Amino acid sequence: MRVQLFLTCLGENFFSSTLQDLVRVLERIGVDVAMPEGQTCCGQPFYNSGFQSQAIAPARNFLRVFAPTDGYIVAPSGSCVDFVRHHLPELFQDPREHSIAQEIAARTYEFSEFLVRVLNVRDVGATFPHKVTYHASCHALRGLGLREESKELLRAVKGLELVPLNEEETCCGFGGVFSVIYPEVSASMMHAKIANIQASGADYVVMGDPGCLMNIAGGLHKIGSPIRALHTIQVLAANGGAQ
Amino acid sequence: MMRIDFRANVQRVPPNMPPSVRKATTRFLGTRANVVNIFGDERWQQLRQAGHDVRLHTINHLDYYLTRLEENVASAGGIVHWARDAEQARQIVLAIAREHNVKRAVKVKSMATEEIGLNHALIDAGIQTLETDLGEYIVQLAGEGPSHIIVPAVHLTKEGIADLFTQKLGVNAPPDPLELCAIARTKLREEFMSADLGISGANFLVAETGTLVIVTNEGNGRMCTTLPPLHIAVVGIDKVVPDFESVNVLLKLLPRSATGQKISTYTSFITGPRRSTEEGGPQEFHLVLLDNGRTRVLRDPVARETLLCIRCGVCLNVCPVYNHVGGHAYGAVYSGPIGAILAPQLLGVKIAGDLPFASSLCGACADYCPVKIPIPKILLRLRHRVVEGDHVQDAITSAPMRAGARAGSFALSQSFLYALGSQIVKIFQAPFQRAGWLTHLPPPANRWTMTRPLPAFNANFRAWFRKRTPAGRARVQKRKLGIGLLFAGIAALGAWWLARRKK
Amino acid sequence: MNAREQILADVRLALKRTTDAPVLPIPGSARIAPRVPGDANAEIEMLLGEITKLGGATRRISRAEMRAALAQIARDDAVKKATLWETQELKAWDIADALRDLGIEIISPHADKRALAECDLGITGADAAFPETGTLLLRSSPEKPRAVSLLPRVHLAIITPEILRADLAPAFAEVKGEGYWVFVTGPSRTADIELTVTIGVHGPKALRVWVMDGGS
Repeated sequence: MRVQLFLTCLGENFFSSTLQDLVRVLERIGVDVAMPEGQTCCGQPFYNSGFQSQAIAPARNFLRVFAPTDGYIVAPSGSCVDFVRHHLPELFQDPREHSIAQEIAARTYEFSEFLVRVLNVRDVGATFPHKVTYHASCHALRGLGLREESKELLRAVKGLELVPLNEEETCCGFGGVFSVIYPEVSASMMHAKIANIQASGADYVVMGDPGCLMNIAGGLHKIGSPIRALHTIQVLAANGGAQ
Repeated sequence: MMRIDFRANVQRVPPNMPPSVRKATTRFLGTRANVVNIFGDERWQQLRQAGHDVRLHTINHLDYYLTRLEENVASAGGIVHWARDAEQARQIVLAIAREHNVKRAVKVKSMATEEIGLNHALIDAGIQTLETDLGEYIVQLAGEGPSHIIVPAVHLTKEGIADLFTQKLGVNAPPDPLELCAIARTKLREEFMSADLGISGANFLVAETGTLVIVTNEGNGRMCTTLPPLHIAVVGIDKVVPDFESVNVLLKLLPRSATGQKISTYTSFITGPRRSTEEGGPQEFHLVLLDNGRTRVLRDPVARETLLCIRCGVCLNVCPVYNHVGGHAYGAVYSGPIGAILAPQLLGVKIAGDLPFASSLCGACADYCPVKIPIPKILLRLRHRVVEGDHVQDAITSAPMRAGARAGSFALSQSFLYALGSQIVKIFQAPFQRAGWLTHLPPPANRWTMTRPLPAFNANFRAWFRKRTPAGRARVQKRKLGIGLLFAGIAALGAWWLARRKK
Repeated sequence: MNAREQILADVRLALKRTTDAPVLPIPGSARIAPRVPGDANAEIEMLLGEITKLGGATRRISRAEMRAALAQIARDDAVKKATLWETQELKAWDIADALRDLGIEIISPHADKRALAECDLGITGADAAFPETGTLLLRSSPEKPRAVSLLPRVHLAIITPEILRADLAPAFAEVKGEGYWVFVTGPSRTADIELTVTIGVHGPKALRVWVMDGGS
């Protein structure tokens, strides 16, 4: 089986190593990976900030890049997949484009969704002997209905001790443009999330969305916390070495 | 009315506000969980769907149900008035009050009456107007606005309330909730007895019979609508429901979602004035049906679902933004997620255009809403209205902002520009980098870095991926050649142009 | 155009409806299945259990126990003045006489509101009861004045088992033509001061519910 990688703009620009890890994990379980050239941004930032008409050009490029491909499209981000699945098709009034968009949306998956719901895989051969807690990113949780998938994958990692996070499902405060339109509120929410992470006793906090990761990792770094924030994929790629 | 500046309001939130608000929201979410679990998830979801479907059906046939309601209230002896806006509604109430020579009025808590600023209008006209819900009574004495829709005085301590009662009521008030309630009961009892007018809103208006449904816990709702000889209800046109079967559904959703009670202590069902002297109750009943922007909400088929709201407040309880700032920051009668979608539609985006952005789009509200209002979907719809305009209202963003978005959209849709941009930014970030982080960036990027660093840009995945295959490596070579030729060409052109200038 | 015409016109314009546009039937998904009741005794126990949880005082009572029970609450609640519904049922049980025999002054339920507010005890029946929530439905009529269950310090409702209803819907069908009725669920309460639940605000401070069905 061969899947198409949807890099996502945050993933590509800030978390290149996570994308590399995604390739390693997929190859380790016998899935080939292709990277369609020419991909840019799917258009979500424009759509979410109200510039719906400006989301069309990037979205059209997304169609142009992925239409000639076939097979599953996999992304390291719940919010991007939520956008592609639930909003991108409605941007296109033209019946032909609309139908192409729907076809692509129907085979686009968030990584944990792909592993667990499509491949029915839980154990990806990872080793990560550390205490880990999990933050549930909002779009994967409520947009895509993914509640247990990442946790099932984490529980199958050798040596990993998964500890609960108080207010696991409460938003971390990123919210895309929200983080820069209302920085005080965003920061307040981030601090509350970090306080919960510290109280969990974990050495690592993992999550499946680059947006949350930028926010929480930045917040932890700012206070000089020894707790490290990782993308779930980084843990799934690990095989015993320190990260 | 002045433009609501959400960020400025947030910066003024006093430090005691979020913790008190959070006490209330945590309590209500906890009690809610108990009573919802009793139903079991399947029945609860069925109930929510039923609540959504009956309310949507009503809104989609609002003209029909309003006319039926009016007929039935009138045939029960009630008098129906229609108010286009707040000013008209105030004038209607004032006219009725003057006609009856009203000196003292008692009120049941009603968001609609707050929307129209009724209290001030009555007080300015020399009519004593007293809020009788304990929390509303307290904030009225304190001269403040409510901080939470269900428990308006939750931000005040019992000590603070005791001081307030001592100062304003001339009593010796100890800081004990039971004693403070007893003081309020005594004071307000006399007010109920001597009032000429009782003012209320309504939770629902039943079209089939012309009945008002009023949900309360303290008994003041019954007092205000039973003891004075005159009763005026001011109710938004969106409160109509078709029949009692609908009330059955909605009464199972509202108290459980609002306070975690299976049902509130008192639910009054009022159809017109009293039908006999002996039973007691008001001799005259007026219903003021309020538009005040609700017809504007109707114009958009998606945003119209805002009117399904039954004012339970659960979206406030579960909203992380509301929990971090409290109600005052929203600057409108309605706060939290429902405020973020209702206020910009009632007041217009020029005044309340900040509010659809006062959300991280986490979606928790939509999960909890008992009538399944798709709040995040409506937030996105209203953001679009603010920024690009639609058939309901024009955009309010500036031309430069929209030009910037067009430029960004173009850049992010062209793979060459996008790739180039990713590489260029790696160069320009160099002076700001510290150990893989960008800690201080110039405006406007400092809106991120003021509270936490940004990871350094490191877009090198494509290069890594391409190098893994011969075909990929060849492509990388071709690109380098291409870029090299491009720069060589630019350099040559530059040299030629300089040479021409020297001549 | 007056306000009414303007508002209705705007509503129709927004909904793209005309004055005689059809009204679709209310969808089936807008309705829910009624609650299935348990057996009669379980329903009574559920009703009283719910009321007790809310701070009400309940008992099952027989005709023979009535006088003694009234004497008990006259002492416990320090009753000097009482008022009551003038229904056939309460008359048949000789409630007013029993109270007079205890030295309690009976105030007419049609008396002035201030006089009623001085009553320590207000006695009513009920027209329906909902076990699921511990709710009583009280109608309003010349023999069932509204203030009796509202103004006195203690509200006592004496009911019989046949008024119990599995759910709200059948009760609504019975009363919906009337001008007023009220659901009473427990004594009045508030949590407005620091979220501390306080019983007894503006409505009665205490609620007692007796089910007259043959005994304790």
